[in-house]
Amino acid sequence: MTTVTVSVAGEDDREVELEEIAGGAPPETPTYADLLSAVELSPHEATVLVEGRPVPEDRPVEAERVTVLRLIKGG
Amino acid sequence: MDCDRCGGEAVVHAAYSGAHLCGDHLRESVEKRVRRRVRRDDLVSREATPENPQTWVIGLSGGKDSVVLTQVLHETFAEDPRIELVGLTIHEGIEGYRDKSVEACVELADDLGIRHELVSYEEEFGIRMDDVVEDDPENMAACAYCGVFRRDLLSEYAEKLGADLLLTGHNLDDEAQTALMNILEGDVAQIAKHFDASLGPLSEREESEEFVPRAKPLRDVPEKEVALYAHLRDLPAHITECPHASEAYRGEIQQLLYGLEENHPGTRHSIISGYEELAGIAAGEYNSEGGADLRDCAECGSTTTREICRKCSLLESIEAV
Repeated sequence: MTTVTVSVAGEDDREVELEEIAGGAPPETPTYADLLSAVELSPHEATVLVEGRPVPEDRPVEAERVTVLRLIKGG
Repeated sequence: MDCDRCGGEAVVHAAYSGAHLCGDHLRESVEKRVRRRVRRDDLVSREATPENPQTWVIGLSGGKDSVVLTQVLHETFAEDPRIELVGLTIHEGIEGYRDKSVEACVELADDLGIRHELVSYEEEFGIRMDDVVEDDPENMAACAYCGVFRRDLLSEYAEKLGADLLLTGHNLDDEAQTALMNILEGDVAQIAKHFDASLGPLSEREESEEFVPRAKPLRDVPEKEVALYAHLRDLPAHITECPHASEAYRGEIQQLLYGLEENHPGTRHSIISGYEELAGIAAGEYNSEGGADLRDCAECGSTTTREICRKCSLLESIEAV
């Protein structure tokens, strides 16, 4: 099992098992969009940061730890 | 995954266009869309000259949208003597929250060297949103009061500052939500009003002597890209949610749009493009019927369709508590 730690600002860290969220048929690796969906977020309201750097959500998950930057509504 | 334009490391995938972009090319693309919108909406009037510069007042809340809009417009027009930018910030009386975003506005205006004005509900109306939410005399969501007061002050101060244009930082997600809400509520009159108020090219709108025209040059850019732009450029945007935020219906529409966009990339763009066309037709139809019956509010003199404007009637019920 490959575990990814997802940290969303203002919430507790979540451990996500990659094998449980596989986007496509194996051996396809889940994408960062799949990871967001595992923590109930849409890629249109959040960006995944790997080592502080935004990554495209259609990219396969490679990191073991990510931070999620959520959109804040309004001004 | 590489940037389609330079092969550098991509930071975003725009599913609606298929593009992967690196930070530099996302930045370029956002700026290009804002400038194209400024041109398409004919925002730079032919009357604007270095001798007769136009004043553009930007509703600057300190959130990511208005901060990005101000930054991009400043970089676009800094060397152009025909346009003068003024930032207008409104303090609603929300402890902790607005104090911090006002700091972000002051910092940005200082950095850019643009004029900045700050007005508050407390000084203007003698109220604070923190108290209004507590009393809630009309049994409404906080945003319903706050929106009326904010729009009133934005128009009043745009007028006082001699604005030729009032700009706000609404993004593509905001506008697609509003469009869908108006459609689902069946409110064709509101759709027509939306066109004349802020959507159509200035040259195609029904002119109004009573109101400073409004514009939303960020409305082609999805919210996520606005946020990424602010993040990548490390702009002084304030990133906390308003503690009173409570637009339940808008939240429902937002979730619906996320789902649609996921399954059918480009939905927000197509909603807006169809909606703007329809809104233009609706505006033409309503205007040929003579338009709304406007008069002066009996209390404050501002332009309204009622005897007493919505702001004054809300203030009355707040004072009655």
